Amino acid sequence: MATATLERSRPRAGGPSGSAWPRRRRRGGWLLLLAPIVAFDVLFFLTPLGKLVASSFTGGAYARVLADPLVTRSLVNTLTIALTSTVVTVVLGYVIALVLWRSGTVMRVILFAVVLLPFWTGILVKNFAWAVLLQDNGLVNDFLQNIGLTDAPIGLLHNRFAVIVGMVHCLLPYAVFPIFSSLTAIDGRLALAARSLGAGEVSVFRRITLPLSTPGISAAGLLVFIISTGFFITPVVMGGPGDMMIANEIDYYARQLTDFSGAAALAVILTVLVSVIAAVYQRVLKAGGHHETL
Amino acid sequence: MTTSVIAPATHQPSTTAARKGAIDLRQVRKTYGDVVAVDQLDLSIQPGEFVTLLGPSGSGKTTTMMMVAGFEEHTSGSVMIDGVPVDSLPPRERNLGVVFQNYALFPHMSARENVEFALRMRKVPKAESRRRADDALDRVGLSGLGGRKPRQLSGGQQQRVALARALVFNPAALLLDEPMAALDKRLREHMQEEIKTLQKSLGISVLFVTHDQDEAMAMSDRIVVMKDGRIVQSGPPEEVYNHPVTDWVASFLGDTNLIPATVISRDGEEAVVDLAGLGTGRVRDRGAQGERYAVSIRPEHLKFRAGPDGENGGAGELTSSTNLGATIRHRITVGGHSLQLRELSSDAGASGHAVGSAVHVGWDADKAQLLVLEG
Amino acid sequence: MKRSRKTLQPGRQRKLLSLLSLPVFAFLVVPTLIVVPVALNNSRYITFPPGGVSLAAVQGFFADQAWTSALSASMQAAGIAVVLGTVFGASAALGLHGRKFPGQQAVVGLVLAPMIVPTVVLALAFYQFFISVGLVGSIIPIGLAHAVIATPYVYLTTRASLAGLNPALVRSAQSLGAGMLSVFRHVHLPVILPGLISGALFAFSVSIDETVMALFMQSPGATTLPVKMFTDIQFNLTPKIAVSSALLVTVATIGLLIQVVYVLKRRSTARMMPLAV
Repeated sequence: MATATLERSRPRAGGPSGSAWPRRRRRGGWLLLLAPIVAFDVLFFLTPLGKLVASSFTGGAYARVLADPLVTRSLVNTLTIALTSTVVTVVLGYVIALVLWRSGTVMRVILFAVVLLPFWTGILVKNFAWAVLLQDNGLVNDFLQNIGLTDAPIGLLHNRFAVIVGMVHCLLPYAVFPIFSSLTAIDGRLALAARSLGAGEVSVFRRITLPLSTPGISAAGLLVFIISTGFFITPVVMGGPGDMMIANEIDYYARQLTDFSGAAALAVILTVLVSVIAAVYQRVLKAGGHHETL
Repeated sequence: MTTSVIAPATHQPSTTAARKGAIDLRQVRKTYGDVVAVDQLDLSIQPGEFVTLLGPSGSGKTTTMMMVAGFEEHTSGSVMIDGVPVDSLPPRERNLGVVFQNYALFPHMSARENVEFALRMRKVPKAESRRRADDALDRVGLSGLGGRKPRQLSGGQQQRVALARALVFNPAALLLDEPMAALDKRLREHMQEEIKTLQKSLGISVLFVTHDQDEAMAMSDRIVVMKDGRIVQSGPPEEVYNHPVTDWVASFLGDTNLIPATVISRDGEEAVVDLAGLGTGRVRDRGAQGERYAVSIRPEHLKFRAGPDGENGGAGELTSSTNLGATIRHRITVGGHSLQLRELSSDAGASGHAVGSAVHVGWDADKAQLLVLEG
Repeated sequence: MKRSRKTLQPGRQRKLLSLLSLPVFAFLVVPTLIVVPVALNNSRYITFPPGGVSLAAVQGFFADQAWTSALSASMQAAGIAVVLGTVFGASAALGLHGRKFPGQQAVVGLVLAPMIVPTVVLALAFYQFFISVGLVGSIIPIGLAHAVIATPYVYLTTRASLAGLNPALVRSAQSLGAGMLSVFRHVHLPVILPGLISGALFAFSVSIDETVMALFMQSPGATTLPVKMFTDIQFNLTPKIAVSSALLVTVATIGLLIQVVYVLKRRSTARMMPLAV
């Protein structure tokens, strides 16, 4: 169809080559650029998602999964693990963003690369590396024994601590960037003004930098929380049986129980839960008006 | 009300009280790598004096101010406040009020919280700091607006908050960095007068940085013209304007006629010069030495004359007249020079020359300045 | 008159901050950095620090048909994802650039949406969908799924580089009689090329690291490297997993280095991560 349109509007040699024809051809041509992506996303993105939602409403799936104690447990796990990792990630991300913000140009690019290396590395590679470090005869346990903190290896892997370590490592870049951009948005003269008015470095940070970077902190918090609720690999590789999250439950329903409608219901629950929490969070932030300090 | 803003400062020893509010720079130099931003600068601001650093961007005026405030460390030399060296003191211990370009008000704090900031940093009790902040806001005409955030205030109001914030803790002196750059022309002129009045009533020394020569003329006790990190000329506004030492200063401070001149004789007060094509002339001389000289005559000091007059003038042709409202700008070709003559519109009727007609122009000897041609 | 930030910050707190942040930066990089030495360990077990250097594990990896076919499956999926993702993402950015039409926001939303849906939800949706249309048991559904999530990245990087294009340039090229293709080749392509390359790198990286969707849609002939790693890692930490990790880290490092060079040339860190847009 696309070619036919182009054929028809192409000015023929010898024919009247008016200026109106090529113009229309160009305009239509640019809109044709959008057709493939729209068709692709409708076919391979919206249709599968629509089918998923539709199948979640068959066979009493919601009642079934919500009656499953493993599901309730994984929901609680998801919320507590996601919340803990979010808090830790935002705090560590703030430190990194602060250092980035204060670095000179060259140092900044180097540190950016350091932040982006884990971002570019796949989650399995990162989790594998942590498993190597945290295993009973791994580097961390060796270190703890060498400095005499413990006599025997302590179980650092396959527990909730390990899950959070692995998740924070994956999530950090997502926290650094929003915070960094809110820091760079602060007018540098504000700190000068504060110092001329008698503020030391600590006061400048507490009363100027920190309150003015709260938009970045809240954006980072939301982004990180949303991403963390969908973790699947890390609980399996680094967690114990009691650390399974909702994504693992979806996998279990789909591939072990082959209960597709149940799995679909869980997927919808996860999406709705995250959306509701995100909406409430933003509402609360707006109501609180995060510029009320001093 | 006034006394609460300018209550006697208690921070300096009484021995230096005589120099309270003085700022002295001794051979101050600032380099960034190979680039010299400020070169061997000597500058003294007397207590209560309003001194303007005037220069184009890159002249080192802002760097100089930043070194006084303590935000930039000078490479060598010494800075003194109240007669005491402050070279090793951080900004917060220099006790200077600074008003920044675009004011740098804290956007997350109300006007009152902005003004209170310095007092809170000085551990002033809450009730007292609030009272003093409100007094300072009254003083700048912002009574009742203390609860507003900066973004809820107009440009002029924001500037008043910035002023109140910089004054509330009785600083030794006030530093103003292009504080009016963000205001429109009318408001700017109004604020110029207001700041000047406030400064006089407080008797506080001011170091003012601007690239706007009108602003410098309007406000200063003394103008310090800077170029390439050095002071080119320093003096009262009228003197710097009427008697510039170089053609660069003359042009930077406004329109002027520059006529190349050859010195015939000079005694340090007055010089006799040969003005190519305009005969000889008698002009003011400040003894500046250089390779080439010129005479600067401001357009408003060039006058029409009824007839020929041997010295300080000549005959020529009126080539254009442009009415600028309050004044009329005439262009006259005299002896190969195109000169600008500016007269008040109200005076124009009397002379009434037509474009293309022959005219005689001249100037008073004390209104023409011998200066050095640079470059 | 440049006010360098360095001179404005007092030194002591700066040093304290750097000192405090050191463990955090170590936390970020150390795990990634140990992967390669672990892969070159001479022991049959996974240890760090390694006892000695040996290529035995690497040879073992390439001699194991299960691992090499996983590598080949990954490359095929990534190939599909890069080609489709780049074509669709770039054409979306070009089609949306400088144009306003009803429903435009909806199209932008649709293009970006795959980024925000949790992968596990997408994985389940694709799994169901491809079973229902009978397209399972090959690498194609995995490649298509990866293309869906890679497209937004290419769209964002291309859009970022188009931001620097002056629309007047396009009009003036057209007024000079250039046809659509030659406008694209001489005006658009040079401008979007960096974004296109960056986007293709992202697409490759997204696909080669993606695990959940590939896991759901795996079949004997279509088991990608991360899926193989995920399956094995649950039983034991083996040197072959380490070699596979090292391979992926190498790919990541190359991608990152290309970006760093690009950023140093442009003097802007804004484009190092499309998510920051």
